[in-house]
Amino acid sequence: MGNVTLENLTKRYDETTAVDDVDLEIEDGEFVSLVGPSGCGKSTTLEMIAGLTTPTEGTVSIAGRDVTTLPPKDREIAMVFQNIALFPHMDVRDNISFGLRLRDFDDAEIDRRVEEAAETVQMGGMLDRMPDELSGGQRQRIAIARAIVREPEVFLMDEPLANLDAALRVHMRTELQRLHRELDTTIVYVTHDQEEAMTMSNRLAVMDGGRVQQYAEPLTCYNEPENQFVAGFIGSPSMNFYEAEVTQSGVEARFFEITVDLAEFGLSRGREVTLGVRPEDVALSDSTENLAVPTEPFEATVDVVEPVGDEVFVYLRLGEEGDGDADQLLMSIPPGPEVTDAAEGTTYRLRIDRARVHLFDAESGEALLHGIEAAPPSTTEKRETESRPE
Amino acid sequence: MSSDTAGPYERWVQGAIQNPSKVYKAMFVVAAIFFLVTTLFPLYWLIVLALTPQDAISNVGLLPNGFNPGAFLEVFQTVPFHWYVFNSFVLGILTTAVVLLLASLAGYVFGRLEFPGKAPLMLLMLAVSYFPPAAFLLPLFRLFTGNVTFLSLPGGMELSSPMLFNTPGALVLPYSALFLPLSIFILTTFYSQIPDGLEDAARIEGTTRLGALFRVIMPLSAPGVATAGVLTFIAVYNEFFFGYLMTDGQAQNWAPVVWGILNFQGQYGSLYNLMAAASIIGVIPVAILVVVAQEKIVSGLTAGALKE
Repeated sequence: MGNVTLENLTKRYDETTAVDDVDLEIEDGEFVSLVGPSGCGKSTTLEMIAGLTTPTEGTVSIAGRDVTTLPPKDREIAMVFQNIALFPHMDVRDNISFGLRLRDFDDAEIDRRVEEAAETVQMGGMLDRMPDELSGGQRQRIAIARAIVREPEVFLMDEPLANLDAALRVHMRTELQRLHRELDTTIVYVTHDQEEAMTMSNRLAVMDGGRVQQYAEPLTCYNEPENQFVAGFIGSPSMNFYEAEVTQSGVEARFFEITVDLAEFGLSRGREVTLGVRPEDVALSDSTENLAVPTEPFEATVDVVEPVGDEVFVYLRLGEEGDGDADQLLMSIPPGPEVTDAAEGTTYRLRIDRARVHLFDAESGEALLHGIEAAPPSTTEKRETESRPE
Repeated sequence: MSSDTAGPYERWVQGAIQNPSKVYKAMFVVAAIFFLVTTLFPLYWLIVLALTPQDAISNVGLLPNGFNPGAFLEVFQTVPFHWYVFNSFVLGILTTAVVLLLASLAGYVFGRLEFPGKAPLMLLMLAVSYFPPAAFLLPLFRLFTGNVTFLSLPGGMELSSPMLFNTPGALVLPYSALFLPLSIFILTTFYSQIPDGLEDAARIEGTTRLGALFRVIMPLSAPGVATAGVLTFIAVYNEFFFGYLMTDGQAQNWAPVVWGILNFQGQYGSLYNLMAAASIIGVIPVAILVVVAQEKIVSGLTAGALKE
């Protein structure tokens, strides 16, 4: 039973707090990603689970056993590192069997397990090579074989794909998912790549400033971010944010507004909020078929157009030309002649999907509301939950 | 001055000004010849002396006054010289083993751990290594001859320092202490360059920190370990001061090579031809070692310097 429990886990260095009071409950067999920008404490958290770093406060339990003071070798874990960390002076066979040989398995058992692990990562014929004779992807496979050969309770992975090239990274992503399905073992995965985290994990722990900002399923983090940080971090390209104020008629940003009676949602007039709009929830005013509940149209001027194939990113300026303070809007829409040929300075009329806007407290960044529908629903929970085309 | 009227020297100077690499080449040749002559001539002179018969030893020129290769055999008949070589060899191996073990532990700590006072401690260690060995001789001599009392127990019992004079201990201990700082310094540089990930991986896979040091960090630092080992061995093999004073000069009492050579002096007069032959024989093991290990030593000595 490879469940992992972190309680009040804290790591302080002289001046800084790298990890601040983290509580996390990872179920047996779950694939959990710790995701966040660099310096958010995700790697330190993983190192504390591994036992490579000693926590200042708090406890780590693996499989129901408090392992906070145990050395890494006694924790029933295996780890895959960003820099792969194969032992350069040993061939592939010795690399994979390193942990087994330290644990007094008999030779036949070691051979059997090594062959099996190498087969699992599709590296069967490579056992006599040295690490420097292998490609980056092959090395990472061997590192994974070294991890699975001991059949540990928990796998820890510290950005294992970060050093691979883009195509290989996407390939290894599916390999890892296949492996997780086959082995059915708990995986704790650290990455700064939110897309990687979204696609692979059962649950995400989004971290910033040493704290877990949200611990939920990927789509929940995407659709119902608990605060402005999560909203901005999850999703690519990232969400547009506007300073706004709750008014008599609804919520008013500097260059557009959404009319609704927000008193129904418990938001008093005059309250300062941050309005969040995902790029894909904006559309040209005459092609709103992707928007559930379009707002009134407003105008914006094209700055830069970035076609990426299946979609087009359009960077727009809200407000007057030459207004140095103008708000920016990033829109992501399907390609079409009206945008791909657009020159800088073209003015569009746009609408936003009000069913998918997010309101955050301007001060604390806490989420207040996800989606403003035409008629306020009885509870804030009830909103569009249809899966969205990515 | 036009070049057609100039003499050969002037033409060479002109050419050198236009093409300075010619001058550098000439300077290199001169320096190399100087270096070779100063290092190799004494060795040649030893051979000349060794081949000259004992009774023709005065007024030796650049060639030996006669030919007496038998001196290389006489060396072993007059004095058990092979025994002295063996003693030095064993002392060198023992010291190298002790130094590599301790320097590995210290090098790990200095190279891979962060702790307060690390830099001052390293400096202090290096500073101590520059003290003249003579400064330690008297206290060590008293210590190793059983003349230091640590503790007087009631009833007349005394706990004194062990009697190590004429044993390997009296040499291996001070040698280890003297040559440890250099090895620590070399290994610190090497161990600090092994990526943290490899040590972490070893520890996750099931070693302790110490296990990771001996199974992963040390094998990967092989050039550094070889350098430290060879330098220590050669230094011990060549050592004169403690080797001369910590034994009574008897081969069975662990007297090193230097005693063997000096034993040709004294009761028979000075057998310079045998001393020369013994010196040449004594040089051979170290020469072989250097030839075999020189590639590793050079890469070991420069690797740290280039990377940091």
